[in-house]
Amino acid sequence: MTDAPWFRPAVTILAAFGAMMSLAAGMTLVERKVSAFIQERHGPNRVGPFGLLQPLADLIKFVFKEELAPDRANPLLFLLAPALACLPAMATFAALPFGFLDGKPMVVANLDVGVLYVLAVGSLGVYGIILGGWASNNKYSLLGGLRASAQMVSYEISLVLSLVSVIAVSGSLNLSEIVLAQDQRWNVLVQPVAALVFLVTMFAETNRHPFDFAECEPELVGGFHTEYSGMRFALFFLGEYIAMVVMSGFMAVLFFGGCDVPFLAIAATPWWAGALAMVVKMGFFLLLYVWVRWTLPRFRYDQLMYLGWRVLLPLSLANLAVTGVVLALDRQGAAQ
Amino acid sequence: MTVRRHSLSWSERLYLPAVARGLAITLRAMFRPRFTRQYPEEPMPKYPVTRGQPRLVRKEDGAPACVSCGLCEYACPAFAITIDGGETERFIEREPKRFEIDMLRCILCGFCEEACPKDAIFMSQELELAGYTREEHVLGLEQLLRPASDFEERMRYVGEINHRWHATELAARARTGNKDAAAAGHP
Repeated sequence: MTDAPWFRPAVTILAAFGAMMSLAAGMTLVERKVSAFIQERHGPNRVGPFGLLQPLADLIKFVFKEELAPDRANPLLFLLAPALACLPAMATFAALPFGFLDGKPMVVANLDVGVLYVLAVGSLGVYGIILGGWASNNKYSLLGGLRASAQMVSYEISLVLSLVSVIAVSGSLNLSEIVLAQDQRWNVLVQPVAALVFLVTMFAETNRHPFDFAECEPELVGGFHTEYSGMRFALFFLGEYIAMVVMSGFMAVLFFGGCDVPFLAIAATPWWAGALAMVVKMGFFLLLYVWVRWTLPRFRYDQLMYLGWRVLLPLSLANLAVTGVVLALDRQGAAQ
Repeated sequence: MTVRRHSLSWSERLYLPAVARGLAITLRAMFRPRFTRQYPEEPMPKYPVTRGQPRLVRKEDGAPACVSCGLCEYACPAFAITIDGGETERFIEREPKRFEIDMLRCILCGFCEEACPKDAIFMSQELELAGYTREEHVLGLEQLLRPASDFEERMRYVGEINHRWHATELAARARTGNKDAAAAGHP
């Protein structure tokens, strides 16, 4: 059976889907637990040992909740928006390499244009948010959706520009090859400014604190998902968490060597150690999401735009220019 | 008034050191002991001063200490207490035939305890009040009686308070030389 042509893809898909879902579900629990710990509370601890089964209980609750739709909401878009918010995040997970098994990358789709694919599909997520806001027939939802889309479009530019310098250094758009290029020389050491810009934009892209203008509670009730309930709301929620997982994985792959264990060559690393290193790195950035949430206050909207256009954009452009010049000089030096 | 705003220095405008300091603060908070009390498992500590629900004292011979004088019923500001008194062959001659406290009316003020001349009713340390009907919160004699040993600490505490009150009272009388002035506050 292990020789059958469908075996490896099937195992890969199951493993990737399972990993994604369990990471996202675990993240909901971690978020609540860490939030509680920072506020000197206990967090959920009634369902299962230490509240470990809480995500399951949440799921059951979401499934059995009544689905409410506002009067004169656009029925098709109202139904479609949560799926559109969730699917792109799930699809981008396919390009994340988790390590190398027999020299082949452990990834659902080993794309040569991996970085472009993730950026292209990932930016589709904004459709789900703005459609959810539009279809709800609610002014707060619409405002939340508009804000979120303006923010995501603004920060995507700095995000992409910070990635361009990484691509220039690695010389490939393939995420597995970017990992291989970082063997014992993580990009965060070569491109610290790009890493910083990516870190900041990563928070903005997933609409997380301190950039959570999409659901800014004191002003917009719940933002784009104000009118959503039950499983449809859960899909928005899931989409946000999967996007966080993917972004953390992206951060680990692009700047922190992916499956690279410190002081151990990638070729010499057993596959499980590589995957573990990857998950630990992702876990750190997922934790950082929650950690930052309870540390920094929300930006004002003009501050958000100022930071995006007048700080991060020039910074990433300057970084790209310096990277380009250094690489060109380096190549010239090598040619002579 | 003009508020003078100091312009931020270069390192302050970078914000990153401040962010790092903030993260350090929240990280420390993560490892501080939890503030929340896990209530049913971890009940509140009880002290003699705790004023829980009123309960009646059962003497060692098994009879209530109450002589159904009705003072607590009279003192009760919430009309939570109902007493039907009756005669008894015992030395005290009178005993309650019916003694009911409606715990949904009771405001846990402790006036009944203060009014009682026979040390027969005390504020216990029982605090939980939950049920499915209103009727089950009207407690009768059998539900109210507790062995006297339950109230030893409370009895000592109340005695101490009374003693202190008398001491200040006597001091006030000695100071003013007026017997009525100080006693005026006393009903």
